Amino acid sequence: MIPVSRGGRRPVARPSAAAARGRRIATPYLLLLPAGAMYAVFTVYPLFRQFDISFYNWHIFPGASNPFTGLSNYSQVLHDPVVRTAALNTLLYTVITVPAQMLLGLVAAAMLTDRLPGRALWRALIFIPVVTSWVIVSYIFAYLFNAQDGLANSVASLLAGHAMHIDWLAQTWTGNAVIWLVGIWKGVGWSFVIFLAALDGMPRDLVEAGRIDGASEPVLWRKVIIPSIRPAIVFVLVLLVIGASQVFTQVYLMTQGGPYDSTQVLYTWAYQQAFTNFEFSYAAALASLIAVVVLALSVAEVQVLRRNPGG
Amino acid sequence: MALRRNRPGLTACAIGCAALALTACSSSSSSSSSPSSTSSSSAAKTVTLQFWSAYNTTDAEASTMANVVIPQFERENPGIKVDSVVYPYADLLQKFLAAAAAGDPPNIMRSDIIWVPQLASQGVLLQLGNLPWYSPIAAAALPGPLATTKWQGQAYALPLDTNTQALYWNKTDFKAAGLAGPPTTLAQLYADAAKLTIKSKQQFGLGVDGTDIWNVAPYIWSNGGGFTNASYTSATGVMSDSGTMAEVSTLANLLKAGDIGSDFRGGSGAVSGETGFPKGEYAMYLDGPWAVPTYTALQPPPDYGIAPVPSGAAGSISTVGGEDLVIPKNAANLAATEKFAQFLDSQFAQLAMAKVGQMSAIATFGAQEVAATPYYSTFVQQLKTAEARPVSPGYTKLDTDFSNELEMIIDGKVSVSAGLSAAAQQSNTALSGS
Repeated sequence: MIPVSRGGRRPVARPSAAAARGRRIATPYLLLLPAGAMYAVFTVYPLFRQFDISFYNWHIFPGASNPFTGLSNYSQVLHDPVVRTAALNTLLYTVITVPAQMLLGLVAAAMLTDRLPGRALWRALIFIPVVTSWVIVSYIFAYLFNAQDGLANSVASLLAGHAMHIDWLAQTWTGNAVIWLVGIWKGVGWSFVIFLAALDGMPRDLVEAGRIDGASEPVLWRKVIIPSIRPAIVFVLVLLVIGASQVFTQVYLMTQGGPYDSTQVLYTWAYQQAFTNFEFSYAAALASLIAVVVLALSVAEVQVLRRNPGG
Repeated sequence: MALRRNRPGLTACAIGCAALALTACSSSSSSSSSPSSTSSSSAAKTVTLQFWSAYNTTDAEASTMANVVIPQFERENPGIKVDSVVYPYADLLQKFLAAAAAGDPPNIMRSDIIWVPQLASQGVLLQLGNLPWYSPIAAAALPGPLATTKWQGQAYALPLDTNTQALYWNKTDFKAAGLAGPPTTLAQLYADAAKLTIKSKQQFGLGVDGTDIWNVAPYIWSNGGGFTNASYTSATGVMSDSGTMAEVSTLANLLKAGDIGSDFRGGSGAVSGETGFPKGEYAMYLDGPWAVPTYTALQPPPDYGIAPVPSGAAGSISTVGGEDLVIPKNAANLAATEKFAQFLDSQFAQLAMAKVGQMSAIATFGAQEVAATPYYSTFVQQLKTAEARPVSPGYTKLDTDFSNELEMIIDGKVSVSAGLSAAAQQSNTALSGS
């Protein structure tokens, strides 16, 4: 028989203090568990397995023998002339597209924080490329820069006054330039949104006080606005550098690394080695080196920008 | 001492996931069934085999396999069903890799001949040479296709279908240029190409569809050049020998002179031979038998002939193309799979597929397929001297290395000698795993 209280109501069992404390500690971990498990299975494990594979002559078929080869895959990667070209192209892509995306994103955000007619429309237009598929964008740009009937050649013909049939994607520098252009066009909207949020969240009175004190616009930006949105700048910079180091889709779809591997970037070369040439261990060694370099670069960026708040 | 490790479970899962993720954007299978449904129906004791291929779904290839060949096999073999799963060519290898890594490959696959040594070197394929039914089929096969089934002296595949290239020539253009018939020698081919080129009409004497080995090998081999030694272990002294250098120089000079069209260098503005030939852009080019049904369907069809590859110092040598059958190691239902593999090389299956453009790799069916499809005659003749491209796991890389250097030669970035020497050196690395 269930005991009842004097008021006729069932007594409410009070949890012990230890149980409540345990639940309080466990709750955030339980909430994190699904995401953490997925992260462990789909990111952490493959990452460590990739490092592991890079020390073997690894075969894809279960049960095949995988002889240990030590550092030979790393040695092969470091002596491969295509890796040097791909590393240079990846570096150029990063150096050119990251500042361009940040600058254009910041300018667009600054313009659209003020009352501009059609502000919502402009915001949407700038952001649309971000949500458009890389595959679709790459094919559209390949069509725009087609040697026969692409828009780029139509414009070039108009300017030159005679028919131009430049094969943009079949030449080293024009091919690379189109790859950069796609990266910038597609990425500006993302940094724009982050900067827009940062600018909107910035205390207005700081800017107004600066104006009252007679600070010019460049001084206001240098001394007030940029320092105020520094966390957003660090965030955008770190993620854009990581993203740029992973450039893949537009290169794979527009130039396939050609002509003669001169537009190759690190991940298209790694992909080609793994899934075309079946050199899985070589690809794992290359991907591991990229991961180490990008991690070191990201840590360095954050450290430098944190230590040097004055710019 | 070399350590050896086998860790199939999680690794296979991870790589499978990666491969699937990387191919996630590609077009999907045209099969009506799930590729992962390899199973046997225990209720009716019916075995269901998964047969993966990249048969063309826009013409009659895939439908003939699904509606003619497989039903006949199922009638002859009650209790065995075959599920034909057709992927786009570009996806098939990666789908197979992902499935093999996950331990769930199809029972049998129609593989491009150049994939066989690659897959064999990965330890994915079952050795077929010791199976009792293999020898009679191998003995009846054409030598070129048969050469594509071997790796390190062992047979890992069964020749299925084959093809090769021959010279398509435009009769109207030849008549207009005062030429009586197709060239029979390489020297005549190049002289005719110059005569047939009319720059004002954007008409090129010759189309060469790319710098890869498939497209340039007929010229290089016929002139006595080559790519690797006979055992496919080294390119030194072969890829850069006098025959190869002379032929590469000739082709580069013809391109410079404007006698070869845009297809040779490639790029986004290039027009392929098959597209440009019926429009009068190319007066001659090399192509396989699949172009004939395309031209027959055109209104009006072009007035053309098909001739053997013109002979050079080494004769008339074209490239062997086509597909082999491969069976993954440890695949389920092996006995039923073996029956199906033998059936696909039977007279019924080979002649049924020959009618829809799949030339038989079995020499003994040559006369019958020509009787049913007369335009095969030149190709069947050409196949007798056709050669396989280097049969090596490193072929894809070798092909890319050669093609890249040839493009650099064409662009004037390197000399013929330096380019081919570099290609040979790079190819040696690709061949080192052979």
